[in-house]
Amino acid sequence: MFRISLFILCLISFFIIFSKVIAGNPTYDLVLIEEADRRALYNDKYWHTLLHYKKGVFGLRSLIDDPNFFLAPGGKHNPKAELEATIKAFFQEPGEGTKHPVCRFVARYTWLKEQLGIDPSQLPVPECTHFEQLMVEIKPEAVSLIFPTSHINSPASMFGHTLLTIETATQSKLLSHAINYSAITTDTFGPLFAVKGLFGLYKGYFSILPYYGKLQEYSDIDHRDIWEYPLNFTKEETRRLLMHVYELDSIYSDYYFFDENCSYDLLFLLDAGRPSLNITDQMDLWVIPIDTIRLAKKNGLTNKAIYRPSKTTKVQYVASLLSQKDRESARAMANGEIQPKDILVQAISQDEKATTCDLAIEYLQYLYTKKRISKQQYLDRFLELLKIRSTLGQSTEDRYAIPQPPRPDEGHESNRLSLGTGIKKDRFFYELRYRPAYHSLLDNDKGYPEGSQIVFGDTTLRYYPSLNRLRLESLDIIDITSLTPRDLFFQPLSWKIKTGLTHRYMEDGREHMVYQLNPGGGFAYKHNATGLWYAMAETALNVSGAMKETYALGAGASVGLIAKVTDLFKFHVCARNIYYGIGDYHNYFEAMVQANYTVSSNTGLAFQISRTKTRSFYQTEGALSWNIFF
Amino acid sequence: MKKVVTVSLVALAVICLGTAVWADQKNYGCGLGSIAFEGNDGLISQVSAATTNGTFGNQTFGITSGTSNCEQFKTFVSNEKINTFVAENMDSLAKDIARGHGEYLDTFAGLIAVPESQKTAIYASLQANFSKIYTSDSVSYLDVLRNIDSVIASS
Repeated sequence: MFRISLFILCLISFFIIFSKVIAGNPTYDLVLIEEADRRALYNDKYWHTLLHYKKGVFGLRSLIDDPNFFLAPGGKHNPKAELEATIKAFFQEPGEGTKHPVCRFVARYTWLKEQLGIDPSQLPVPECTHFEQLMVEIKPEAVSLIFPTSHINSPASMFGHTLLTIETATQSKLLSHAINYSAITTDTFGPLFAVKGLFGLYKGYFSILPYYGKLQEYSDIDHRDIWEYPLNFTKEETRRLLMHVYELDSIYSDYYFFDENCSYDLLFLLDAGRPSLNITDQMDLWVIPIDTIRLAKKNGLTNKAIYRPSKTTKVQYVASLLSQKDRESARAMANGEIQPKDILVQAISQDEKATTCDLAIEYLQYLYTKKRISKQQYLDRFLELLKIRSTLGQSTEDRYAIPQPPRPDEGHESNRLSLGTGIKKDRFFYELRYRPAYHSLLDNDKGYPEGSQIVFGDTTLRYYPSLNRLRLESLDIIDITSLTPRDLFFQPLSWKIKTGLTHRYMEDGREHMVYQLNPGGGFAYKHNATGLWYAMAETALNVSGAMKETYALGAGASVGLIAKVTDLFKFHVCARNIYYGIGDYHNYFEAMVQANYTVSSNTGLAFQISRTKTRSFYQTEGALSWNIFF
Repeated sequence: MKKVVTVSLVALAVICLGTAVWADQKNYGCGLGSIAFEGNDGLISQVSAATTNGTFGNQTFGITSGTSNCEQFKTFVSNEKINTFVAENMDSLAKDIARGHGEYLDTFAGLIAVPESQKTAIYASLQANFSKIYTSDSVSYLDVLRNIDSVIASS
């Protein structure tokens, strides 16, 4: 009896061992999970990077919102459960039509394989062949951070944008792959847009397009110069970065305008590419695209910048090489007023003819992208111009070597704090002023578009010792000015919008706080010897309890000149008159001189003197302040 | 102060979303005159098409391989990559050929594997034969490729 039992026992254990051998080691996954838990890999910084875990008000959570990104129920909040579920999932049998987790989460797999020394031969799917094929096809070599600069005349691009490109072994920048993170929406109604974006109601996805497609968009349509910052990522780091992009295919995160926005999510890719980086933890409350470039620089990722001028910049530069007469013939050719072959008989050198043609071609394309001419008009003139151009000799590399302007990352930083002192009427004051963003007309232009001002939340506090009083002098919630000069080729409108709180004299002869909204539009011209001149028609609405009927609505005009005496010193002279004819009717006039001296890239000295006449009250004010950018 | 922050944030928001949304507009075509332009036909509605299909395997990476359904040429080996590049950059390539120089021409030369030593000669010959390559405004990218092929073959 005993022997039989022993025999059966042996038989059973044999079957157990045998079945283990046949099925592979069914406990291998448990061994790996135990080892991972023992080493607390779920707390590893890199695991948190791959899963986008960040500390929030309510504890740790992943910034990714797509449930398909998580394998464990509650994986969004639980790194440990997610890690265990991930390891288990690697042992799944491959299913029809779905990607195996080893492939689906190729970055997680690769990292865990390294950390735990996973033996691929014990997995049903030992490697992600699709990903490997892709790598063979695209041959990724390096990564660049791309910054299409702001174009102030389209508010949508006011702060610029960032994307990444993956350089391939083909060596052509045009064929590199542009990785972009953006929100997907079909909403076109502005305010809805803003509100939904604020509360994360849009979904953000990563996308990959050929870089030449992005260039058409930014440089040819939006007229934005582009800066390319090659990052010092190795091939291996580039590959790691791509693994993570692969994992994020069709995965969304709720898109928030300021923090989880276009620029922030790209930073996760950098952290994923280079595990020793920790760039996603270094951002402020909100993310302005240029700050991500500065951050990349600070982390030693890049020190080089390549400039890629937009079509507008090219037209302006090529035009600057020609005489006024040639510029006019180029414009006339693009406008179809003269035939391209007429250029051949003109008494100018062949080289000038070629340049004139080149200018006409660029400008013609500009007209077409702006829909000023029809497709047929474009095609007729384009082919005719190119035919003539092809007889005028070969271009050379340096023919249109557009000089590189100052780099945007070398401009002053976004926050500005000013300490000042001055006299208003006969009262002495001290002033403290803070502005979170971004650039004003008087700040040094280096790295910023000339004639642009984008100011948010500019707050001025003043202390008047003679009154022993501290008061909010003014608050410019939004103060944007775009002065874009008109010339032979481009006729943009200049505009401004300013809204916020300020002080004004009322009928009682005292100053009261008013809320004002002041938009305007007009023209600007650049005069080489003096500077940028502008004139604008303006309207203004003032609201205050101290006013008759509590409001005043008026219209008027302003004129001004911004002159850059040297790269470090510029001044602004302007005069403005607004007549308020509705509500509390009165007249307001101001004349002002402002000057700014740049001491270093992030410090400056500003001076301002103004004379105003509100109703019948005159006032003179002068102030001197020290600006610090940070 | 809270209001300031909120308003500033809203403003920043509009901007960043705007940027984001514009970022994926695209308008590729296959003939001349298919360069992208600013349109009132929905900058925003074009977004979804470009991205909801996902990142990998469609647009870029999907087209990089294979020579199936490609016409074969005398002077270079045709593939999808060349076809796509020429189709999507018709205007820029035409411009570079007419000027005998440029980044698009360099990229094209790289794709059809023009040896460095022959570049100058081939660029000059393409320029000289511009009218034979871009024969009309309805020329297709395949016509362009065929014409380039014969110009290079006879030079």
